[in-house]
Amino acid sequence: MINSQNIHDGAPIRRRSGRQRRKQLAGLLFIAPALILVATFFVIPLGMAFWMSLHNWPLLGRPRFIGFGNYIRLTQDAQFWSSMRFTVYYTVIVTIAIFAVAFPLALFAEKAHRFTKFYRTAFFLPVVVGFGSASLLWAWLLDVDSGLFSPAAEYLGLMTTRINLLADFDTTFWSIIIMVVWKTAGFNMIILLTGLQGISTEVQEAARIDGASSLQRFRRITLPLMRRTIALALILSVSGSMLAFDQFYIIADGGPQNRTVTAVYWIFSQSFGSFRLGYGAALSMVLLVILVFISVVQLRLLRNPEGM
Amino acid sequence: MKLLKIVALAATALGALSTSAFSQEKLTMWSRSSSEAFMPALIDAFNASHKTQIELQIVPSAEMVQKYATAAAGGSAPDFVSLDLVYGPAFAKSGTLEDLTDVAKSLPYFEHLSKAHIGTGTFEGRIYAMPMSADASVLLWNKKLFKQAGLDPEKAPTNWAEIEEAAGKVNALGGDIRGFYFSGACGGCNAFTFMPLIWASGGDILVDGGKRATLDSPQMYDAINFYRDMVAKGYVPESAKTDSGKNFFGGFATDKIGLSPIGAFAIGNLVKNYPTVDFGVTFIPGKTGGKASFGGGDNFVVTAGRDNAPAAKEFLEFVYSLEGQTLLAKLGSLPTRDDVAAEAVKSLDQRYQVATEALKLGRTPSSPVYNDIINSSTGPWKQMLNEVFFDDDVKGSVTKAQTAMQSILDDTD
Repeated sequence: MINSQNIHDGAPIRRRSGRQRRKQLAGLLFIAPALILVATFFVIPLGMAFWMSLHNWPLLGRPRFIGFGNYIRLTQDAQFWSSMRFTVYYTVIVTIAIFAVAFPLALFAEKAHRFTKFYRTAFFLPVVVGFGSASLLWAWLLDVDSGLFSPAAEYLGLMTTRINLLADFDTTFWSIIIMVVWKTAGFNMIILLTGLQGISTEVQEAARIDGASSLQRFRRITLPLMRRTIALALILSVSGSMLAFDQFYIIADGGPQNRTVTAVYWIFSQSFGSFRLGYGAALSMVLLVILVFISVVQLRLLRNPEGM
Repeated sequence: MKLLKIVALAATALGALSTSAFSQEKLTMWSRSSSEAFMPALIDAFNASHKTQIELQIVPSAEMVQKYATAAAGGSAPDFVSLDLVYGPAFAKSGTLEDLTDVAKSLPYFEHLSKAHIGTGTFEGRIYAMPMSADASVLLWNKKLFKQAGLDPEKAPTNWAEIEEAAGKVNALGGDIRGFYFSGACGGCNAFTFMPLIWASGGDILVDGGKRATLDSPQMYDAINFYRDMVAKGYVPESAKTDSGKNFFGGFATDKIGLSPIGAFAIGNLVKNYPTVDFGVTFIPGKTGGKASFGGGDNFVVTAGRDNAPAAKEFLEFVYSLEGQTLLAKLGSLPTRDDVAAEAVKSLDQRYQVATEALKLGRTPSSPVYNDIINSSTGPWKQMLNEVFFDDDVKGSVTKAQTAMQSILDDTD
């Protein structure tokens, strides 16, 4: 909109806009390294993966453009959808389990004890072990003959015969859930702990003086003020669980009877077992869309009135 | 100007000469990590006696296929590769490999080279891969446990009924001792040890040049029932059900297993690392007799378009010489040339003689989608075996696997 000020006093505006441009340019320069990294390691590979997904792209041999052929094919891929259902089921269960353990741990670790530092370190320790190494360790612990759990249970007289925990879907599934909770609860505890420590003690004090019980304080103060932290922890847990692979590959090898094959496991199997890189890329794109959708829904559900 | 031209010409000539010299004499080769026991020594021996030099790089076994495929697509593949023989058809079909038919046919002992290797190395009538190293499946029995169970420790079972009877008697010794072991959740292991049961009984897995699956055969059901019986009677340890191959060798090495079908690689390993295990080696029999074996190991392939056929021939002639075959046998591979095999293993444990005989019978299903249908952990073969050995719906599982396998074969264009 042109006004008299602009007409009669153009120079300061030009100076201001020049300054603004320089500021913007400086800002752009500051984020340039990050932008380059994101473009190089995410946007370009993503574009390439999408391009691959439009081809019959074997690991061995020449690619052939087939349009959306791979996407049409995956609609009829029973194993993929079965893997997706299993992955969602696993994500729901493991996320609840992690929070059920991590929240009390965070509440416990927040309070000043004699051994607070020791507890925090002990709870966090499994996090520093890689998922691959942790899975190998648990594969051994769960081994029916040379492992720990079954032989120990038999030795202690808890079972008359050794039970192969990996031979049945339920015991395999719950063994892996326990392993993942052991492995990741510490990380979620730290995230939740930072949220807890961010709540002003004055607010808690005021509520206490007003006669609020511990449960009331937790429901009316702690939980609402932890909203952002919980959202962060949830999104990290859900996206990580939707991409689960190592533990199911190493501990259960997708068994028994392919019932613990996750979405990523199926993508891996199609890409490097069946050598169908194009189809694997199409499956990855679909998983990405599902993951983005889940994350957006989570963000909307957990958005507080002030916005995230 | 004239001087400049002379210098340029000289530089080009020198460059061409040096490139040619290097490309002819310093060739690169990849071999998978499972061959680490013998390949470096074999290459060293070749380099020590030949002008042509090979530089060997060991690649983790699980990464070999992806790595070689990617390198070939990017033009940076090595000159030679020692490749798991089952992948020969897939690489040959993709055009990655040099046609070695003339090299192969020019060898006077061509007919004596491992048939299993040449079979998977042949694609559409041309030979793209030649035998490099070998293994063959055999049946091992524990002599000490046989003796304790009242069986003749020197008498090997020759049919399934005898295996089951022996497994039962060993199993009856009680405690941790079990009659029989196999890796129940391992597609590759069971291709190696279960397929021979079917072959020796007159059945097959793939027919019509690898284009038709024949899982739904009477021999398959017989073999499944043979294993199911032993599982149901408790002759097989509980851990076998979920063993994805980790204990393929370890099971028998515990000295608590009566019998186990396994690879010849186990002979050297047991002798060296488990000297207290007293064992015998025999052929994997059919239902009422006969014998069969899965021919495993590596094939030698040459990356296409490098003009390395003469060097390849020079190397192969060394590998197939008595010196090369003896060296391979000494370090853990079976000889791949049957007319010198007995001589090559003469100084070794005499049980290797059975293994070399087994390799003569060796068969390997040949298909460009071998990995997809047999080895893949989510593929139809592994899925079927795990279900039929331990679950109830045998007919349903076999039918499902037959359909899935045929569908993959039909999809192969």
